[in-house]
Amino acid sequence: MNARSSTAHSVVEPSLTSRRVASVLVIVYAFVTLIPLFWIFATGFKTPPDSISYPPKVIFEPSLEGYCNLFTTRTRQTSEYIAQLGPPEGICDEVTRRREMVIAGTSNYAPRFINSVIIAFGSTFLSVFLGVMAAYGFSRFKVPLKDDLLFFILSTRMMPPIAVAIPIYLMYRELGLSDTKLGMILLYTAVNVSLAVWLLKGFIDEIPREYEEAAMIDGYTRLQAFRKVVLPQATTGIAATAIFCLIFAWNEYAFAVLLTSGDAQTAPPFIPTIIGEGGMDWPAVGAGTTLFLIPIFIFTILLRKHLLRGITFGAVRK
Amino acid sequence: MSKLNEIADRAAGATPPSLAGAVRGLSDKSIAWIFIAPTIILLLAINIFPLIWTIYLSLTNYRANRPNAELKFVGTEHYEKILTNPDIWAAMQSTAHFVVWTIVLQTVIGFTLAWLVDRKFRGHGFWTTVILLPMMLSPAVVGNFWKFLYQPQIGLFNYIISFFTGAEPSSFEMLGSVQLAPWAIVIVDTWMWTPYVMLICLAGLRSIPDYIYEAAEVDRASNWRQFWSITIPMCLPFIMLAVLFRGIENFKMFDMVNLLTGGGPGSTTEVASITLKREAFEKWRTGFSSAFAIILFVTVFGLANIYVKALNKVKSR
Amino acid sequence: MSESPQKSGVGRLFRRGPWEIAATLFIAAGVLMLLQPFALVLYTYSFITTLIGVVMFVIVSKFPE
Repeated sequence: MNARSSTAHSVVEPSLTSRRVASVLVIVYAFVTLIPLFWIFATGFKTPPDSISYPPKVIFEPSLEGYCNLFTTRTRQTSEYIAQLGPPEGICDEVTRRREMVIAGTSNYAPRFINSVIIAFGSTFLSVFLGVMAAYGFSRFKVPLKDDLLFFILSTRMMPPIAVAIPIYLMYRELGLSDTKLGMILLYTAVNVSLAVWLLKGFIDEIPREYEEAAMIDGYTRLQAFRKVVLPQATTGIAATAIFCLIFAWNEYAFAVLLTSGDAQTAPPFIPTIIGEGGMDWPAVGAGTTLFLIPIFIFTILLRKHLLRGITFGAVRK
Repeated sequence: MSKLNEIADRAAGATPPSLAGAVRGLSDKSIAWIFIAPTIILLLAINIFPLIWTIYLSLTNYRANRPNAELKFVGTEHYEKILTNPDIWAAMQSTAHFVVWTIVLQTVIGFTLAWLVDRKFRGHGFWTTVILLPMMLSPAVVGNFWKFLYQPQIGLFNYIISFFTGAEPSSFEMLGSVQLAPWAIVIVDTWMWTPYVMLICLAGLRSIPDYIYEAAEVDRASNWRQFWSITIPMCLPFIMLAVLFRGIENFKMFDMVNLLTGGGPGSTTEVASITLKREAFEKWRTGFSSAFAIILFVTVFGLANIYVKALNKVKSR
Repeated sequence: MSESPQKSGVGRLFRRGPWEIAATLFIAAGVLMLLQPFALVLYTYSFITTLIGVVMFVIVSKFPE
């Protein structure tokens, strides 16, 4: 980070004023860019009337109605019916009754969220597993047509998802994989493995071959050397790659919306379908979006040192 | 492509790849194949086989909602229809508007931001991470919540615009108006992906060795001169990389636009992928849409070739 | 790509550099023709132009550097 040290190269060090101006501009940009995120987070804690008030309310009384609506389905009842019910059980019951409704059951958000978790982790595990082996193969051995294979692997990630979805839809229909978690895991693995191979190859390339060679002279076989020398050295790389794969699978929408409808539907196609009475239930959408984005915030912070590598398929390392 | 190899090999040291004497058990060659084969097989099954199937379907009149109908070969008829159809040409122009403007805005803003961050003020690392957040989010979820911000009466975006310009917040609809909708999607994409361009430009700026600037100082080159004759040219490969990748991604843009406008109003924001979805999964013209998919695929594949060339250029830095 | 030392004779004709540039130009032209709003006829021939570029690219990647 501090490639240009301040003592030796004072000639090219930016002046104090220019640094101050730059910091102000960047911080202003950061705040502007955060407004939409802040707004959706705040909306999750508004009541439905507050969420659609004009002028938009920046200061409001926080409410858990959005989160309650996100996880429940409700039916409208007469006030007489509600009055003869017992005392409300829990905060959601109370909030719902205030709108002259009762909780009828749980919504689909939780199962969709769990689907997202299962599919994201399943495909990440598979793609990193396949990726680390293939990356080691490409990094250490003379493979015929290596460049063509690597390019082929990368180009599969570039394909337009809708174009791929047409034959996959037909294929899955034949194989009975439509709307199954297994089908989605395989599909996301295929998309992610290309990134995994390229990224991991970069990481493994950086591990000196001498380490394995020394281990093999000590009597390890090639496979043992791979397991006991290369894998531990590549842990950071494997972790970073896994997080990139997780983020992709977590965020993916095009395949999910076209190929799943129920059992295997993930959260991204579900969130836009959250509706209340008379239109979108924006507080519930805000709540669902917030819960969905929190893992991404954590991942981004964990990944910040490797982001550049990830978005350039390992080409730019610093 | 073999450039890539050379670099990899150089990085890994100049030792000979096979240490025949030291290897016991499986030979290196068989290990290499055992390690690589599963990936290749998976990609063949989930990418290449479907691709070949798509090429085949694109030459037939197959419809996925009528699997038992008689299959007829129509040759290149679908391709001819697509490439002479003014509606699909219009979809390509919507795509072009989206691609060109997002690239222009993101490059200008992204490079400026990178240049500012490179002033290395205190806390620049933290603020960079904050700025990067939008690009990590799900485009679909982003599209969905920007739809909320763009609501004509209640939306925050309209409110802020009217606050600064004095226009009635209900007097314009970002998503409902034919003039504004194409810009609405450009704004969201720029919000989301400017950090991407910034990050790559930052890497470019940091790859410029100090001694070049020092030499320029010795020659008394003005800051302006230094910027145009050192900074920009040295960053250009990185900027190209960012532009190409954003170009490819936005050429096939689907999720965000589908949720924001769904291609509407009318077909003003119907970018190529949305047309493809409508043909394939709403009108069920599988053969026709397969041909369109192949056209998009070949275009992306061509751009991907150029992208990999650009990648190697940056890699050798 | 880096400048490799010039080879003489037949080797020079099949060097990768210039062919790769030609293929790149074909692809770029095809993409521009696909996206331009000016003439339908250019749009019609965009796909074949891109396809030529792509095929060329695949072939010339086998040429020596």
